[in-house]
Amino acid sequence: MALNAHPDRPGPGNGVGGEGESDETGIETGAGTGTGTDIETDSELLPCGRELSVVWEAWDALESPPGAGALQVTAPDVAGWHVSDPHLVECPYCSAALADLASLSAAVERTRAVEPPGPAEVSDLTARVMDIVRLELRPGRPLPLGEPDDDLWIVEAAAARAFRAAAESLPGVRAGSCRVSPRERGPVHVRLEVAAGVHLNLPELAEEIRARVAESARDAIGIEVESIDVLVVDLFDGEEGDG
Amino acid sequence: MPGDNLLAVRAGEGDEEAFEQLVRAHGPVMLQLATRLLGSRTEAEDAVQDAFVSAWRKLPEFRRDAEFKTWIYRIVTNRCLNQLRARRPATDLDSVPEPAAPEHESSPARAAESHAAVRALAVAMAGLSPEQRACWVLREWHGMSYENIAETVGISLVAVRGRVFRARRYLTEAMSAWR
Repeated sequence: MALNAHPDRPGPGNGVGGEGESDETGIETGAGTGTGTDIETDSELLPCGRELSVVWEAWDALESPPGAGALQVTAPDVAGWHVSDPHLVECPYCSAALADLASLSAAVERTRAVEPPGPAEVSDLTARVMDIVRLELRPGRPLPLGEPDDDLWIVEAAAARAFRAAAESLPGVRAGSCRVSPRERGPVHVRLEVAAGVHLNLPELAEEIRARVAESARDAIGIEVESIDVLVVDLFDGEEGDG
Repeated sequence: MPGDNLLAVRAGEGDEEAFEQLVRAHGPVMLQLATRLLGSRTEAEDAVQDAFVSAWRKLPEFRRDAEFKTWIYRIVTNRCLNQLRARRPATDLDSVPEPAAPEHESSPARAAESHAAVRALAVAMAGLSPEQRACWVLREWHGMSYENIAETVGISLVAVRGRVFRARRYLTEAMSAWR
């Protein structure tokens, strides 16, 4: 199932040119020998004796495309050459091979420059995704509200939203997971994970978060809370916790 | 960076507003990725939309030690790969869309040259196998390490290296015809 549109393209060396792509398992069958490694499959010696694949991998080690300056190359231990290799720039074959990649990169950069940035398309995308998502909400379990006799409930996701917002009303707090579990029909247990600014005193912060969550449960929702666990799962730099 | 993963956990618990923030933050790059993989903006928009909806469905199982960014890259890449594999093997070169005309070039001659290079690259990329295209786009356009590509595409490091090499081999040769 070679999908290459140019199977007749002359490929120097053995099986170079995409014929090896045949399956979805990631096992490259190359020229048909199940035992061949990729390095053998892709073997293509330049006239100077260097492997093209090795020369090109030097490209990946470069910070910036090769100019006139010397290449600082960290090579894999394959072809018997190591660290810094002036050959790559001095050899006409190697430097031509690198120049091919450089012009490919230049074409990529030119394409990048004319790609539509499309903020409008992105907001369309967000709107379309969210339209579907809102048809597939996951509100979670219903939690009892009010007196035991009242037939009044709030879904877990809504309670969690209020508790996260209460915690985030404190500077330097970002709320993550919030689970609200009923203890039979009685008061609920809240487990809230937060990320906190590194500069904060964590025991004090945890107390303040508990107080805010308790206040929100009592005044905003009207749900009875038995316990509130606050877990600090991450610390971050910065004032407001913009990650 | 606590942001993304906290949001992902919240979205997994049913917080759709947290999910919307993730779509806004990652939508632009995912649209670029899908456009580069599929060669069509329209198809890319559909693929990315489907990928995010599928992400919403899968988020309850999102592992906390995972990176959301890697995770969404994987979902979008796999969706595009499946789409590419389902295409007719012989790519009709006429189906490669015309790239937008460059606007920032100073002279008309340079603009035309630039336009030709952009067009040549789009046509050449259509000749890659889906797997080569995915590995090369992630490497060359998204600056991903070989290790990350292996994780994203779900293949071995050796296979990634082979595919990137063959993609470069094919593209440099295809592009040389235009020079």
